[in-house]
Amino acid sequence: MRFFLSSIFVILIGCTPYPKKMGYDQSTSTSVEVTNPYFSNVDHDYVYKASILVFDKQFGGILIIKKIAENNHRVVFTTEFGNTIFDFSFEGDGFKVNRILKEMDRKLLLNILEKDFRSLIKEHIPSIDTFKNGNKSLVKTQNRAKKYFYLFESDTLTQIAHIANQKEKVVIKFSKISNNIVDYIQITHNNIKLQIRLTAI
Amino acid sequence: MNKFLVITLLFIEAVTAQTKMTSAEAQVLRTMVKEKAAVTKTILSDFTQYKHLDFLSNDIESNGKLAFQAPDKVLWQYSAPFSYSILFKNEKLYINDNGNKSDLNVGSNKLFKQLNQLITASINGDMFISDEFEIDYFKTDDSSIVHFTPKDTQFSEFIKTFHISFSKTGEVTRVKMIEPSNDYTLIIFHNRIENKAIPDAVFSQ
Repeated sequence: MRFFLSSIFVILIGCTPYPKKMGYDQSTSTSVEVTNPYFSNVDHDYVYKASILVFDKQFGGILIIKKIAENNHRVVFTTEFGNTIFDFSFEGDGFKVNRILKEMDRKLLLNILEKDFRSLIKEHIPSIDTFKNGNKSLVKTQNRAKKYFYLFESDTLTQIAHIANQKEKVVIKFSKISNNIVDYIQITHNNIKLQIRLTAI
Repeated sequence: MNKFLVITLLFIEAVTAQTKMTSAEAQVLRTMVKEKAAVTKTILSDFTQYKHLDFLSNDIESNGKLAFQAPDKVLWQYSAPFSYSILFKNEKLYINDNGNKSDLNVGSNKLFKQLNQLITASINGDMFISDEFEIDYFKTDDSSIVHFTPKDTQFSEFIKTFHISFSKTGEVTRVKMIEPSNDYTLIIFHNRIENKAIPDAVFSQ
């Protein structure tokens, strides 16, 4: 009986909507869209020292993000020596692999990278719902049937979470932010052992 | 086209142009580099690296130090804007990424090895390996520039061609690695010191 009750409890908790689980209440004021301002300046070269932890292995490199024009970004990953590992173009909803190291040319990996970087750079996202908790607000959005929650703390975007089954599947955390430049970004996958850490250089 | 402009362009071309070496001149360079390598047991040098991507507003600049000990120990140590070192020793690769040590760099080991072989080889004097590279020799007023185009298709997918510049006395002064997209990495060496004893600790990781 006790097992049955605790199972019911686990199921109920599991079904609780993500905002509620995180302590947020529905807000009456709903914004039309959210804006991610961090990769929006065409005059700025966004260059990061990257550290990628995949399963129990770690490797590094340089991640370069550049806004070429409106809705058009290049994302390039190189070794410290400068050799290109991958080079992607994001134009509107389009995704183009300009170059990728043969060993990394796997559909599964490309899908993950495309989703992660698209979430990272997408500037204007239509919102569905807004939730509040003190000076924090959580804005629900949807992209290709996938739900993303944008967390704003005192109007500063600090996190983007991809939520599936009311659980955080992928979390992008922004910290050390000034003048719309993020000095530290952490992308954590909770369903696979993958974490990307980016430190501005 | 304006006549003045044509003359100006021709003049600029004449001043900066690389002219092809004769086979005798190429032979002189090969011999000089080989002789120099034979007496160079260690090299310490600072370097500045520029990563050029056409779409960027500025090249990405990084700095560090290079330590070489014959026959095959090479340490590349980046100090700014990040701390990172890569050591080639006993056919192995050791990475120290800001304190995180590893001996693996996914996908790029082979490239690093080949690159390092080339750098090492340019010091050893036996880099003019015509079965691995198409080799073209050029000269300017104050330097010799050798273009190495890998014959290995897997390698050439990564790097289209290397340009190695030598001083008049046969030292490597710069290495330019050009990718198939024509983006490139340029490494310029300066403050070179030869044959100064390097403690073993420098090459331990």
